[in-house]
Amino acid sequence: MTSTYSPPPTISGPSGPRAGFWQRFAAAFIDGIIIGVVDVVLRLAIGTAGSLLGIVVGLAYFAYLEGGPSGQTLGKRALGIRVYDFTHGGPIGYGRGVGRYFARWLSAIPCFLGYFWMLWDKEKQCWHDKLVTDVVVPVSAYPVR
Amino acid sequence: MTGGSVEVEPRELRSVGAAMLGLAFLLPALPGHPGLPCPLRMLTGIPCPLCGMTTSVEDTVHGHVVGAAAANPAGIALTAVAVALLVTRPARLVLSRLALAAALAGMWAFELHRFGVV
Repeated sequence: MTSTYSPPPTISGPSGPRAGFWQRFAAAFIDGIIIGVVDVVLRLAIGTAGSLLGIVVGLAYFAYLEGGPSGQTLGKRALGIRVYDFTHGGPIGYGRGVGRYFARWLSAIPCFLGYFWMLWDKEKQCWHDKLVTDVVVPVSAYPVR
Repeated sequence: MTGGSVEVEPRELRSVGAAMLGLAFLLPALPGHPGLPCPLRMLTGIPCPLCGMTTSVEDTVHGHVVGAAAANPAGIALTAVAVALLVTRPARLVLSRLALAAALAGMWAFELHRFGVV
Protein backbone atom coordinates (compact mmCIF):
# COMPACT_ATOMS: atom_id res chain seq x y z
CA MET A 1 0.00 0.00 0.00
CA THR A 2 1.43 3.35 -0.96
CA SER A 3 0.63 6.69 0.54
CA THR A 4 0.71 10.02 -1.20
CA TYR A 5 2.22 13.00 0.59
CA SER A 6 0.11 16.11 0.47
CA PRO A 7 1.83 19.34 1.51
CA PRO A 8 0.01 21.26 4.23
CA PRO A 9 -2.18 24.08 3.00
CA THR A 10 -0.56 27.54 3.19
CA ILE A 11 -3.82 29.28 4.07
CA SER A 12 -3.69 30.60 7.60
CA GLY A 13 -4.94 33.25 9.98
CA PRO A 14 -3.37 34.87 13.05
CA SER A 15 -1.67 32.68 15.69
CA GLY A 16 -3.85 34.16 18.47
CA PRO A 17 -6.58 36.71 19.21
CA ARG A 18 -5.89 40.13 17.69
CA ALA A 19 -7.42 43.59 18.02
CA GLY A 20 -9.69 44.40 15.09
CA PHE A 21 -9.25 47.24 12.61
CA TRP A 22 -12.06 49.38 14.04
CA GLN A 23 -10.87 48.90 17.63
CA ARG A 24 -7.43 50.13 16.63
CA PHE A 25 -8.93 52.93 14.55
CA ALA A 26 -11.07 54.15 17.48
CA ALA A 27 -8.13 53.97 19.88
CA ALA A 28 -5.95 55.96 17.45
CA PHE A 29 -8.79 58.49 17.05
CA ILE A 30 -8.98 59.05 20.83
CA ASP A 31 -5.19 59.34 21.11
CA GLY A 32 -5.17 61.69 18.13
CA ILE A 33 -7.66 63.99 19.83
CA ILE A 34 -5.64 64.00 23.07
CA ILE A 35 -2.31 64.69 21.35
CA GLY A 36 -3.97 67.11 18.91
CA VAL A 37 -5.41 69.24 21.73
CA VAL A 38 -2.04 69.34 23.50
CA ASP A 39 -0.34 70.30 20.22
CA VAL A 40 -2.77 73.17 19.56
CA VAL A 41 -2.42 74.50 23.11
CA LEU A 42 1.40 74.38 22.85
CA ARG A 43 1.36 76.13 19.48
CA LEU A 44 -0.93 78.86 20.75
CA ALA A 45 1.17 79.29 23.88
CA ILE A 46 4.70 79.33 22.45
CA GLY A 47 4.36 79.43 18.63
CA THR A 48 6.60 77.40 16.31
CA ALA A 49 8.58 75.90 19.17
CA GLY A 50 5.25 74.48 20.34
CA SER A 51 5.10 72.25 17.24
CA LEU A 52 8.48 70.76 18.05
CA LEU A 53 7.48 70.36 21.67
CA GLY A 54 4.27 68.70 20.43
CA ILE A 55 6.36 66.02 18.70
CA VAL A 56 8.29 65.46 21.93
CA VAL A 57 5.03 65.20 23.89
CA GLY A 58 3.65 62.71 21.31
CA LEU A 59 6.83 60.66 21.51
CA ALA A 60 6.73 60.65 25.32
CA TYR A 61 3.02 59.76 25.38
CA PHE A 62 3.24 56.80 23.02
CA ALA A 63 6.68 55.52 24.09
CA TYR A 64 5.89 55.68 27.82
CA LEU A 65 2.39 54.21 27.63
CA GLU A 66 2.86 51.64 24.84
CA GLY A 67 6.29 50.63 26.12
CA GLY A 68 5.10 50.43 29.72
CA PRO A 69 3.81 47.34 31.55
CA SER A 70 0.24 47.67 30.26
CA GLY A 71 1.12 48.56 26.64
CA GLN A 72 -1.88 50.85 26.62
CA THR A 73 -2.36 54.45 25.64
CA LEU A 74 -5.55 56.08 26.92
CA GLY A 75 -7.22 55.24 23.60
CA LYS A 76 -6.16 51.61 23.75
CA ARG A 77 -7.27 51.41 27.39
CA ALA A 78 -10.69 52.74 26.42
CA LEU A 79 -10.99 50.08 23.71
CA GLY A 80 -9.60 47.23 25.84
CA ILE A 81 -6.58 46.50 23.66
CA ARG A 82 -2.82 46.59 24.25
CA VAL A 83 0.53 46.41 22.52
CA TYR A 84 2.15 43.03 23.15
CA ASP A 85 5.56 41.56 22.37
CA PHE A 86 5.04 39.11 19.52
CA THR A 87 8.07 36.94 20.26
CA HIS A 88 8.19 36.66 24.06
CA GLY A 89 4.84 38.05 25.19
CA GLY A 90 4.40 40.89 27.69
CA PRO A 91 5.41 44.54 27.33
CA ILE A 92 7.65 45.70 24.50
CA GLY A 93 9.71 48.06 26.70
CA TYR A 94 10.35 51.79 26.43
CA GLY A 95 13.11 51.54 23.79
CA ARG A 96 10.86 49.71 21.36
CA GLY A 97 8.07 52.09 22.36
CA VAL A 98 10.22 54.92 21.00
CA GLY A 99 10.90 52.90 17.84
CA ARG A 100 7.21 52.18 17.43
CA TYR A 101 6.39 55.90 17.57
CA PHE A 102 8.75 56.69 14.68
CA ALA A 103 7.79 53.52 12.77
CA ARG A 104 4.22 54.79 12.87
CA TRP A 105 5.35 57.68 10.63
CA LEU A 106 6.60 55.16 8.07
CA SER A 107 3.19 53.46 8.11
CA ALA A 108 1.52 56.80 7.39
CA ILE A 109 3.79 58.07 4.61
CA PRO A 110 2.38 56.10 1.62
CA CYS A 111 -1.29 57.16 2.06
CA PHE A 112 -1.47 55.19 5.33
CA LEU A 113 -0.84 51.92 3.47
CA GLY A 114 1.15 50.69 6.47
CA TYR A 115 -1.96 51.03 8.65
CA PHE A 116 -4.28 49.31 6.17
CA TRP A 117 -1.77 46.45 5.93
CA MET A 118 -3.30 44.75 8.99
CA LEU A 119 -6.47 44.07 6.98
CA TRP A 120 -4.75 41.37 4.95
CA ASP A 121 -1.75 40.51 7.14
CA LYS A 122 -1.59 37.02 8.63
CA GLU A 123 -0.88 38.32 12.16
CA LYS A 124 -2.94 41.50 11.64
CA GLN A 125 0.18 43.62 11.96
CA CYS A 126 0.64 47.15 10.65
CA TRP A 127 4.09 48.07 9.36
CA HIS A 128 5.01 49.66 12.71
CA ASP A 129 4.04 46.42 14.47
CA LYS A 130 6.30 44.44 12.15
CA LEU A 131 9.20 46.84 12.57
CA VAL A 132 9.26 46.46 16.37
CA THR A 133 7.89 42.87 16.39
CA ASP A 134 4.68 43.45 18.30
CA VAL A 135 1.01 42.67 17.90
CA VAL A 136 -2.02 44.53 19.22
CA VAL A 137 -4.22 42.19 21.21
CA PRO A 138 -7.45 42.29 23.21
CA VAL A 139 -6.91 42.61 26.97
CA SER A 140 -9.64 40.00 27.47
CA ALA A 141 -7.32 37.40 25.92
CA TYR A 142 -4.00 38.83 27.15
CA PRO A 143 -4.72 40.48 30.54
CA VAL A 144 -2.43 43.13 31.99
CA ARG A 145 -0.57 41.66 34.99
CA MET B 1 5.20 39.45 0.91
CA THR B 2 5.88 35.82 0.17
CA GLY B 3 3.78 33.28 -1.70
CA GLY B 4 0.79 31.50 -0.20
CA SER B 5 -2.55 32.76 0.91
CA VAL B 6 -3.95 34.35 4.01
CA GLU B 7 -7.42 34.04 5.47
CA VAL B 8 -8.93 37.40 6.40
CA GLU B 9 -12.07 38.30 8.35
CA PRO B 10 -14.78 38.99 5.76
CA ARG B 11 -16.87 40.92 8.29
CA GLU B 12 -14.04 43.36 9.03
CA LEU B 13 -13.16 43.82 5.37
CA ARG B 14 -16.87 44.28 4.56
CA SER B 15 -17.24 47.01 7.19
CA VAL B 16 -14.13 48.82 5.93
CA GLY B 17 -15.47 48.54 2.38
CA ALA B 18 -18.85 49.94 3.45
CA ALA B 19 -17.11 52.87 5.19
CA MET B 20 -15.07 53.49 2.04
CA LEU B 21 -18.20 53.56 -0.15
CA GLY B 22 -19.99 55.81 2.35
CA LEU B 23 -17.07 58.28 2.41
CA ALA B 24 -16.91 58.23 -1.39
CA PHE B 25 -20.54 59.36 -1.54
CA LEU B 26 -20.17 61.84 1.30
CA LEU B 27 -16.83 63.60 0.67
CA PRO B 28 -17.83 65.53 -2.49
CA ALA B 29 -20.85 66.93 -0.62
CA LEU B 30 -18.76 68.28 2.25
CA PRO B 31 -17.57 71.91 2.28
CA GLY B 32 -14.21 72.18 0.51
CA HIS B 33 -14.47 68.61 -0.79
CA PRO B 34 -11.83 67.21 1.60
CA GLY B 35 -9.42 64.54 0.41
CA LEU B 36 -6.47 62.62 1.78
CA PRO B 37 -3.18 64.20 0.66
CA CYS B 38 -0.38 61.66 0.22
CA PRO B 39 2.42 62.35 2.73
CA LEU B 40 4.97 60.62 0.46
CA ARG B 41 4.11 62.85 -2.50
CA MET B 42 4.03 65.96 -0.30
CA LEU B 43 7.45 65.16 1.12
CA THR B 44 9.25 63.82 -1.96
CA GLY B 45 7.10 64.47 -5.04
CA ILE B 46 6.96 60.70 -5.60
CA PRO B 47 3.47 59.18 -5.58
CA CYS B 48 2.63 56.00 -3.66
CA PRO B 49 0.56 53.02 -4.91
CA LEU B 50 -2.60 54.41 -3.26
CA CYS B 51 -2.35 57.89 -4.81
CA GLY B 52 -5.50 58.74 -6.76
CA MET B 53 -7.60 56.16 -4.91
CA THR B 54 -9.85 58.70 -3.17
CA THR B 55 -10.61 60.36 -6.53
CA SER B 56 -10.99 57.02 -8.26
CA VAL B 57 -13.43 55.51 -5.75
CA GLU B 58 -15.41 58.77 -5.57
CA ASP B 59 -15.65 58.93 -9.37
CA THR B 60 -16.64 55.25 -9.59
CA VAL B 61 -19.52 55.51 -7.12
CA HIS B 62 -20.74 58.61 -8.98
CA GLY B 63 -20.57 56.81 -12.34
CA HIS B 64 -17.56 58.69 -13.74
CA VAL B 65 -15.59 55.63 -14.78
CA VAL B 66 -13.26 57.45 -17.21
CA GLY B 67 -12.13 59.87 -14.50
CA ALA B 68 -11.73 56.96 -12.08
CA ALA B 69 -9.55 55.04 -14.52
CA ALA B 70 -7.41 58.11 -15.13
CA ALA B 71 -6.79 58.63 -11.40
CA ASN B 72 -6.10 55.02 -10.44
CA PRO B 73 -7.83 52.06 -12.16
CA ALA B 74 -7.59 50.04 -8.94
CA GLY B 75 -10.28 52.26 -7.46
CA ILE B 76 -12.82 50.75 -9.87
CA ALA B 77 -11.77 47.23 -8.87
CA LEU B 78 -11.79 48.10 -5.17
CA THR B 79 -15.30 49.57 -5.44
CA ALA B 80 -16.48 46.42 -7.23
CA VAL B 81 -14.91 44.22 -4.53
CA ALA B 82 -16.51 46.28 -1.74
CA VAL B 83 -19.94 46.02 -3.37
CA ALA B 84 -19.46 42.29 -4.01
CA LEU B 85 -18.53 41.72 -0.34
CA LEU B 86 -21.65 43.57 0.79
CA VAL B 87 -23.92 41.68 -1.60
CA THR B 88 -22.53 38.14 -1.39
CA ARG B 89 -21.47 38.25 2.31
CA PRO B 90 -18.99 35.34 2.07
CA ALA B 91 -18.37 33.31 5.23
CA ARG B 92 -14.68 32.84 4.38
CA LEU B 93 -12.30 34.99 2.44
CA VAL B 94 -8.86 33.85 1.32
CA LEU B 95 -6.50 36.32 -0.32
CA SER B 96 -3.46 35.49 -2.41
CA ARG B 97 -0.44 37.38 -1.11
CA LEU B 98 1.17 37.17 -4.54
CA ALA B 99 -1.90 38.73 -6.17
CA LEU B 100 -1.94 41.52 -3.56
CA ALA B 101 1.76 42.23 -4.11
CA ALA B 102 1.25 42.24 -7.90
CA ALA B 103 -1.73 44.60 -7.57
CA LEU B 104 0.23 47.05 -5.40
CA ALA B 105 3.19 46.91 -7.79
CA GLY B 106 0.89 47.57 -10.76
CA MET B 107 -0.80 50.45 -8.95
CA TRP B 108 2.55 52.01 -8.11
CA ALA B 109 3.81 51.66 -11.68
CA PHE B 110 0.64 53.38 -12.92
CA GLU B 111 0.99 56.28 -10.48
CA LEU B 112 4.72 56.72 -11.15
CA HIS B 113 3.88 56.98 -14.85
CA ARG B 114 0.92 59.30 -14.24
CA PHE B 115 3.06 61.76 -12.32
CA GLY B 116 5.89 61.53 -14.86
CA VAL B 117 8.38 59.95 -12.47
CA VAL B 118 9.09 57.09 -14.91
